Amino acid sequence: MSLEKKDEHDHRAWMEERDLTPVEKTFLVSLMWLDQRFRIVDYLELLENLYYKSNLQMPKSHTEQYNLDNKFWYWYPLYSLGFFSTIAYVVAAVSGALLGFYYSPATAGETAAAYEQVVYIMTDLNFGYMLRSIHRWSAQVMTAAVFLHMLRVYFTGAYKEPRELNWLIGIVLISLTMVFGYTGYLLPWNQLSFWAGQIGVEMALSVPLIGEWAAQLLFGGFTLGQPTLQRMYILHVFFLPFVVTALIAIHIGIVWMQGIAEPH
Amino acid sequence: MVSSESRESEADDRGSREIVVPMRVYKTVTVFSTLLAMVGAILGFALLDSATNRATAELSEVNVALAVAGLASILLGAGVYAFATRFRAEGMGNAKDGDDEGSHNG
Repeated sequence: MSLEKKDEHDHRAWMEERDLTPVEKTFLVSLMWLDQRFRIVDYLELLENLYYKSNLQMPKSHTEQYNLDNKFWYWYPLYSLGFFSTIAYVVAAVSGALLGFYYSPATAGETAAAYEQVVYIMTDLNFGYMLRSIHRWSAQVMTAAVFLHMLRVYFTGAYKEPRELNWLIGIVLISLTMVFGYTGYLLPWNQLSFWAGQIGVEMALSVPLIGEWAAQLLFGGFTLGQPTLQRMYILHVFFLPFVVTALIAIHIGIVWMQGIAEPH
Repeated sequence: MVSSESRESEADDRGSREIVVPMRVYKTVTVFSTLLAMVGAILGFALLDSATNRATAELSEVNVALAVAGLASILLGAGVYAFATRFRAEGMGNAKDGDDEGSHNG
């Protein structure tokens, strides 16, 4: 940084050569007065700089080359859906970790302990209702964002060579996202959860040849009980977090290396 | 109409005024007018809310002064935002006019 001040907005000379009405002049002078005291724009410019210097630039060259910029710019927000999914995932992870302090995956008791704990979180725990709502909403948002992200990638042709591998990882990730959703859906162990679990068992059983084996593996039996809830819990809070986090890291790492695809 | 290169006082079809300002000033205008507009609108709605007790008060119980202040605040916010749209940075046009292809509608 040089000692010399070179903020062009400090030089009011340009204002004199403009034919401004008093209102316009007052408007500009007051906003510039605010700007010099609350230097929000400077901080935003830092972000702007960061944006252009990072590898996360919008794919402009291709659209500029074919003079498509005026047609294409309104698709740009859809290029943030992957990041949006990641944010939703992080929010779900943090709120889920906090929920984990109060939840217990047990079916024991007159009313299942798992359900009692969810009721406790919703009614007695300070900010519990909010915490669970944040977890649930971020999960919903992630599912929706991941799906829309897939549509964007498909319709802009971003899955094409050399990005086939990342597309496949993405397919695995969207599937695991839904498994995440399903396992979490069973955890409250209310009527909705229980019968969703029943549907899951029967879907597994309907698979030819390996159906019974799959039902045993995933649900711990052919009727729902403690083993089912235990498995859903471990899948939801231990198995899937590691696998999905690792895959997301690889997914984003590959985007980082390959750059964002030009629209095809 | 001192300088011909700036498009000030130049009117388009709707007769709106455009004033070209340096980029840094344009950013200032955009950021702070948006902020002011948001504060104006939110504050206005809060005032209206409290004046009408969340729109549940009887007509006779409405705090007129506060309600008018709320409406004024919303209008002020909108006004600031609308007023700010006349300022443009160098080389910046209206996006809808920047297209070199004609519309294929119809």
